[in-house]
Amino acid sequence: MRGNCSKSFAAAALTRPRSEDYSDRGAHFGAHARHFMNPKLIRELQSLLGRDAVLFAREDLLMYDYDGSVEQARPDCVVFPSSTRDVSEIVKLAKRFEAPLVGRGAGTGLSGGALPRAGGIVVVFARMNRILEIDAGSFRAVVQPGVVNLDVTRAVEHLGLYFAPDPSSQKSCTVGGNVSENAGGPHTLAYGVTTNHVTGLEIVLPEDGRVVRVGGKTSETPGYDLTGLMVGSEGTLALVTEITLRLSRKPEAVKTLLAVFDAVDDATRSVVEITRRGITPAACEMLDGWTLRTVEDFVHAGFPRDCAAVLLLEVEGLAEGVEEQAGEISAVCRDCGAREVRLARDARERDLLWKGRKNAFGAIGRLAPSYYVLDGVIPRTRLPETLQRIESIGETYGFRIGNIFHAGDGNLHPLILFDPRHAGEFERVVTAAREIIQHCIAMGGALTGEHGVGMEKNELMPLMFTPEDLALMARVRDAFNPAGLLNPQKILPLGKGCGELRVLPQSVGSALPA
Amino acid sequence: MSQGLSDTQIARLEQLLGATRTMTDPTSLANYEVDGARPAAAVRAADAGEVAEILRVAAAEKLAVIPCSGRSKLGIGGVPARYDVALDLSALNRVLSYDPGDLTLGVEPGVRIDDLQRELAQHGQFLPLEVAFSNRATVGGIIATNAYSPLRAHFGSARDFVLGMEFVTGLGEIAKSGGRVVKNVTGYDLHKLLIGSLGTLAAITRVNFRTFPMPAERRVFVASFAAADSALEFCSEIAKSPLEPRVLELLNPEAANISGISPRGEGEMRAWRVVISAAGSAALVERHARDLERLSREAHAARFETFGDAEAARSLQGVREFVRMALEHAADTTIMRVPVVPPLGGMVARRLAAIADARGLNAALMMGTAGLAQVALWPRAEKRAEASSAPTDDDAWNSAADRFAPALASAVNEILLAASSDGGPARGFVEWCPSAVKRHISLWGGAREDFALMQHVKHIFDPHGVLAPGRFCEGL
Repeated sequence: MRGNCSKSFAAAALTRPRSEDYSDRGAHFGAHARHFMNPKLIRELQSLLGRDAVLFAREDLLMYDYDGSVEQARPDCVVFPSSTRDVSEIVKLAKRFEAPLVGRGAGTGLSGGALPRAGGIVVVFARMNRILEIDAGSFRAVVQPGVVNLDVTRAVEHLGLYFAPDPSSQKSCTVGGNVSENAGGPHTLAYGVTTNHVTGLEIVLPEDGRVVRVGGKTSETPGYDLTGLMVGSEGTLALVTEITLRLSRKPEAVKTLLAVFDAVDDATRSVVEITRRGITPAACEMLDGWTLRTVEDFVHAGFPRDCAAVLLLEVEGLAEGVEEQAGEISAVCRDCGAREVRLARDARERDLLWKGRKNAFGAIGRLAPSYYVLDGVIPRTRLPETLQRIESIGETYGFRIGNIFHAGDGNLHPLILFDPRHAGEFERVVTAAREIIQHCIAMGGALTGEHGVGMEKNELMPLMFTPEDLALMARVRDAFNPAGLLNPQKILPLGKGCGELRVLPQSVGSALPA
Repeated sequence: MSQGLSDTQIARLEQLLGATRTMTDPTSLANYEVDGARPAAAVRAADAGEVAEILRVAAAEKLAVIPCSGRSKLGIGGVPARYDVALDLSALNRVLSYDPGDLTLGVEPGVRIDDLQRELAQHGQFLPLEVAFSNRATVGGIIATNAYSPLRAHFGSARDFVLGMEFVTGLGEIAKSGGRVVKNVTGYDLHKLLIGSLGTLAAITRVNFRTFPMPAERRVFVASFAAADSALEFCSEIAKSPLEPRVLELLNPEAANISGISPRGEGEMRAWRVVISAAGSAALVERHARDLERLSREAHAARFETFGDAEAARSLQGVREFVRMALEHAADTTIMRVPVVPPLGGMVARRLAAIADARGLNAALMMGTAGLAQVALWPRAEKRAEASSAPTDDDAWNSAADRFAPALASAVNEILLAASSDGGPARGFVEWCPSAVKRHISLWGGAREDFALMQHVKHIFDPHGVLAPGRFCEGL
């Protein structure tokens, strides 16, 4: 193995021109994507996987042309591998026929990461859904990528363990998708995102279908941290076929609080103060009053209908610490003007509060013909001014913008309601969204906190990164993915639209963002 | 090691930085030796722009450059294949941004960790980097070596709290990845590749961290055991309990003696010790004290001691400075870094004495529940006497090393074997080792299936092999 670094690989990485063109070698595919579905390729895929594991009829493909974002892209073919070997052979076939290749879990992603922007083959991991090993003594589980996030926790909770990343879609999203997008969730505030809970991977390289293990069960392995590079690479460097997860021990005690405010500013100031005092809740979510009423009408969680904002806070750990932290948080919220701080009395009340939070986007979807959920991050000290800015941007462009987000780590999800049937409205949404994202960056924040760049924000990358930063990222991508066949036209700007946020209008969304 | 630089090459460096920051005199250069190799020049850069210019010159002239600042850990890694220029980053020592309210921080690589912790403490915060050589170690070196901190048990390692970095590649490009906020998934996490890469991919010019609030109270507990099994059992019960120790390290008797963990009386020199730190509110600390005392009794501890803040600092210092103390204890010490999951850690702990005994070696083990075993090996007095009289010069060292090397190499292999007895790949490597011995043993624990990918990564960042050639994983 040692010393067989391929020459073509190295050459490909270095011949990249130092211009502001970071598009992959798959960038040209879009124009004539349809020719990839060579009947011979379909036949070879069928003989490899069986006829029931290959879809290519137009009506069958409809199920796979969307995800949780507002994007759409039609595959030419969908395949369902059952093993790592299948995946490796699919990669080899795609290479031979020069067909683009995109991995897909449950399709709950929010930035188009699993959409075949250039057509080609979508590899759905639904049949690779086994939990291969639970090693409680080492706090590890080894799973296939198609395992549903929540099923990991269900399989280990009798051992007093759980898998910490908890995106809102956790009942349906897969661990493979979590790894690709480096998924977050409300409880990442205390426990970190997916990358903090993955110690090893088995990957299939797009270059030649080679299967390689990186990392392992141990928390570090000698050499470069390739696991850290792969997690969050949005399916552009390799296909993941096996994942070694870190399991966490269930906390002894949990308390859930709901702080109710008559002014948004008081709520955001509370978050700033909680952070400043070094209190680390397990979760700290904010819902503004309008969002709250919409959710309450739908979920009946018992949220007060007449307030300006609530904070949904959770503290976990040893009973003694939880008691004290809950007390401190209540005091801070009251000092900042909360009119009421409620404590969930039992598991039922707690579940109800979280049900309200996790089903919020579904509730809002009932209200407007369409909505667009943004994902941006700011330093937590900037929360009050940022929410004021979002409101004024909404007023300028004439939109209702809801706010329901991970306040504790400054991860905003402004939600813009609009009606795509009104001429020009969609263009105004895109402009407003771009202003909000630009504000996040100007505050020292980030383009995306958990949804990923995908095909939604790739043209915005220059807001955060210099041409040299992007060129280096492009070289990394090209080195792992030299022909550009794996998930083309994602993450890095194509150099066409200049700094454009790419959003397409769509009818009512049913997505449940994190 | 350096073939020497031509006058033109020196002139180019002097043109960039001026003569005072381009050192070529033997006295200055002696400070930058790596495994006995002396560079032809040492240059002191003041900012990322200068680092980039130096590396562009190096790339054009095919010079080998080793980045450094505190120089406390230059002993880690393979013997340099080439070494022309020491790139001293100690003047990049500014705190670039600190937002205590957001608990985020951006610093240059030359900032000394002690100074930084003092500054953070003024705001009631800290970085969970309680590392060895703390009075010399700088942020850049700590990140580039992924220096061990016993606080890993609670806070994770650098990859868990580094938010982003700016760095200069072997082509002299200034690039960055990650960001400055606590949550961010924008772009590839290239900075994770730099953690522990021994400067072979890029010279780090900025590191962004999340900081953590200091606890109200801290207490240290030391449980002593007559045998490894009961100490291991104690650790495993703590891991299964809901307790949240900040530090949990198991030390074999040799490690406890080296690091000065409360040896009270002759009889205790053979005790295994578990050092635990608990922090937080008074009630939380009290809960730990109660539960730990009970668990230690159930695991048949010979003794369970509690230390308040002042004594606590001393016990924790022994754990933090274990590597330095082991190196100072015997000049010919070899220290392995072996990542383990708990069951395999137990295997290493149980087999270690037999492995060392059979080869005339002493072995000190410190193992954290965060999954890292550090094993120090050094020859017993009789072995040394048999090998040579105390080596005084390089030749004597080399001949002594010749004779120790086979015993050491086979001990290293046996330990790696114990750590991979679940059939997995060998996971550990030799982090510290006398230069003379390095030429005789394999430091990196044999071939890995992802080595070709690592070569690719190296090639992307440093295609001309400018940065620290030969230092990392045999050939990166």
